[in-house]
Amino acid sequence: MISVLLRMELSKLWRLTSVRVGLLLLVLFPILWSYAPGIFEVYGFFLVSGYQVPALSLLSSMQFLLPLLTAITAAELLGVEISNGTLPTVLLRPVTRPNWLAAKLVAAAVYPFLMLVVFLLASLLAGAQFGFGSFVGGTGLGEAGLLGTGSLSAGAALLELGRGYLLAALALVPIAMLAVMFTVIFMNAAGGALATLATLIIMQLLVVFPNLERFLLTTQLNAYSVPNAELSWVVALIALYGALFAAVAVILFERKDF
Amino acid sequence: MSTPAIASERLTKNYGKRQVVKDFTFRVNPGEVYALVGPNGAGKTTVIRLVSGLAFPSSGTVSILGKNPHLNPEVRRHLGAVVEAPAAFYPYLTGRANLELHATLAGGVASSRITEVLGLMELADAADRKVGVYSLGMRQRLGVAAAVLTRPDVLILDEPASGMDPLSLHLVHTVLREAAEEGTAVLLSTHHLDEVVAYCTRVAILEEGALIDEVNLFDRRERYRLRPTAMEQAVRLLDEAPFIKHVTVRGHELVFIPSSADTLGQVTQKLAEGGVGVLEMNRDVFDLRAYYRERVSAERARRTGVVEPPAVPSFPGEP
Repeated sequence: MISVLLRMELSKLWRLTSVRVGLLLLVLFPILWSYAPGIFEVYGFFLVSGYQVPALSLLSSMQFLLPLLTAITAAELLGVEISNGTLPTVLLRPVTRPNWLAAKLVAAAVYPFLMLVVFLLASLLAGAQFGFGSFVGGTGLGEAGLLGTGSLSAGAALLELGRGYLLAALALVPIAMLAVMFTVIFMNAAGGALATLATLIIMQLLVVFPNLERFLLTTQLNAYSVPNAELSWVVALIALYGALFAAVAVILFERKDF
Repeated sequence: MSTPAIASERLTKNYGKRQVVKDFTFRVNPGEVYALVGPNGAGKTTVIRLVSGLAFPSSGTVSILGKNPHLNPEVRRHLGAVVEAPAAFYPYLTGRANLELHATLAGGVASSRITEVLGLMELADAADRKVGVYSLGMRQRLGVAAAVLTRPDVLILDEPASGMDPLSLHLVHTVLREAAEEGTAVLLSTHHLDEVVAYCTRVAILEEGALIDEVNLFDRRERYRLRPTAMEQAVRLLDEAPFIKHVTVRGHELVFIPSSADTLGQVTQKLAEGGVGVLEMNRDVFDLRAYYRERVSAERARRTGVVEPPAVPSFPGEP
């Protein structure tokens, strides 16, 4: 039954307005970077390779645009069932609430990966005008930043981008779980998305407590730039946040009146 | 006593300090059609949601086929339900695709059955259109089609006739009546009191979350009234007759329930033998609308202390 529910939820994902609009945005956004005339004035460098556009796309969207799209879609995934009235219809079938919500949570967790695959491909496509050969500099997602430490091969550049985008997608998963959790609480997609964004903004303000910063969910949004040595800590923290939010969502949903 | 298809014992639901269902006890047996009626806000929908397992009782118990639906989700394999008005479906899927989805969630139903229920609810022509373009009545009919899809032992429907034209209404009632004749227990909430009298077995009247009356319509349907030439003698004669289940006096009329309709001839014969003439004899059509108004008004008067003038004559002494 879980695989049936999961298939259903993944197919519903494509129907959501926020997914269609979000993915369209992520296709258009890298074009801005690849044709932007003022990059040198703002960042102090010139794009020399197509492998640098994905980094610019990610760096400029990881703190707001991508969390926003993740929160809205995850909230809509459940919220649309509430507004359509289909939630009770499904729950009246022999489906357990935890199983049904688990399928939703998995679909919500899949979305950041889907988003970043599209974003990476669109960014590479937008960077095609700069070429994809070896170049002197960095992708922007490795430890040496955009300036690099010398010549970088195409394979090494792709590896850096893959690692950075994978970690970025992973860091967005707890935000998806948080949005589902808030939607369960408020029984409303707008409320769920807004509460998620408010939480992220509050967390960003908590950097004024330096001892807390390392543990904040918003700090983990920079996971794509974390050196390999610190990776296990960051991944564990992301997993902990994700599991916590998902568990609270399931527990609350289990006792909810519809 | 056999296990009821649906039962609740002192079912209570509070939202904050507000009690929306109070100590509601009832049972629906297989083959019965049980209607919940009452003013808006009386708690009908909450009862439907509590019984179907969508909402949790604050106290009291509820069971479907002897099992608590909250603890035993598998009991929903035997349940067909429509709890939204209009019935809710995925608007981007066709009517048939929505039913296929229901079939998958229910554990699988033959595609021929999907075609059958679509035909039954006169939706065959619209089956491959998206539900988003369906009219309110069509959605409601699709809701009933989804509910009866698995030939469930228990049907729970909240306002199944809402927004329907008279023909669709008749269609839905026919389907529900036939389901009951095949042994399905049907629980529904409705405002269509005339239709309730036509095919429901029992009716619960709710007001402010409490059950104020339960009317056995089966007995009411078998009720007759006559105007005798001598009332007291007629009552005495029929009271002792073995083929009469119940006798009562309503104004200048005598109301009785025969053990079967075949015994009606014996009634006039018995009265004639006792020297009592019969001026008029008819089936006593139960006016549920009037009865409902009187019961709800009386309950409100009892609760608030404000007595509203009766809109219809009362029926003293009736069971």
